[in-house]
Amino acid sequence: MEHIGAGLAVLGVAGPGIGIGILTGMATQAMGRNPDAAPVIRANMIIGAALAEGLGILAFVVGILLALR
Amino acid sequence: MEQSSEARPARTRSRYLPLWIAIAGVLVADVLAAVVLGFPGYPPDIGEMIEPIAPHVLFAVGPFTITNSIVTTWVIGAVIVVLAVALTRRLRLIPNPVQNAVEWIYESLANFVVSLGGPAAKRYAPLFIALFIFIVLSNWSGAIPFFGRVEWLRAPTSDLNVTAGLAIVSFLTFHVEGIRVLGARRYFGKYFNLRGFRHGPIDGVIDLFVGLLEGLLEFLKPVTLALRLFGNVWGGEVMLSVMTALLLAVLPLPFLGLELFIGLIQAFIFAILTLVFTVLALESHDEEHAAAGEHEAGEEGPAMVKHAAAAA
Repeated sequence: MEHIGAGLAVLGVAGPGIGIGILTGMATQAMGRNPDAAPVIRANMIIGAALAEGLGILAFVVGILLALR
Repeated sequence: MEQSSEARPARTRSRYLPLWIAIAGVLVADVLAAVVLGFPGYPPDIGEMIEPIAPHVLFAVGPFTITNSIVTTWVIGAVIVVLAVALTRRLRLIPNPVQNAVEWIYESLANFVVSLGGPAAKRYAPLFIALFIFIVLSNWSGAIPFFGRVEWLRAPTSDLNVTAGLAIVSFLTFHVEGIRVLGARRYFGKYFNLRGFRHGPIDGVIDLFVGLLEGLLEFLKPVTLALRLFGNVWGGEVMLSVMTALLLAVLPLPFLGLELFIGLIQAFIFAILTLVFTVLALESHDEEHAAAGEHEAGEEGPAMVKHAAAAA
């Protein structure tokens, strides 16, 4: 039962995955339109991706804690 | 000249040939051994190979336990200190190549800090660079043979205790710096915001609620900082163990490369987020203060940081 719960918990990484995908796509578009601003956009993209990824990591950690109980 | 240009394609074609032959040979030997010997102990008990979450306790000093990740932290700290002292011992005005390389590392990171956080962030460049270098070496130490395999060595950042310690350092940094720059009254005024009551009770309640929510989020920052680093590094080591258990000899190598890349990116992210949160903590929410335009010099950097926080 814990393993089923762990699998369900890890489904939570889907959200940040979608978010990072949208973020990276938009940032790439922005860099294509305005290559001069690329360093600024890239730095902000990395920060946003990190913050989105933190939520995915929370789901992952919950899954691991359940699976190794 | 013509001869060399003709000879070049032949040389590039044959340069990697021994490597490919070696890889193919290892794979063939693996398959042959598997066919001849059968698969002893296959599928392997992957649970046995996975690094446990809790670090191994080596010995206890009074109430404190010395774990293998602490020992590795000491080793990495000693390596950094020795390198830093050795590389900066005889500084010259006209640098030799080694000094040049070290200066390049420091300057490019420090310039990055200033471009991200504005002139106000220059003060935190040493913290940023120290965090970055320590975490990068910690992440990569997991790729050294025997780290995580023998019981007194383990990549420090694959232990939640170490990443939580680093996150507490960041947490204290942004709040202490915020109080130092803004003063206690204005700093805590950001979270217990009563200024909205000037514009009426509804505005006041909304502002108070938003401020309290922001204060709650402050305590989530170190948690996500610690869990992000731990989850990436430890999860990467678990992935490497599983891939090594499932695949033949050299096939897990690309995953090792991926892990090295992720280790670099995560160290960068930890350092960047510490810097960004510190710069954010330095900003007051006082509208009058912003209207007075005292921060015009540093306008570009903090504005950028603000956008990043809004995107999150």
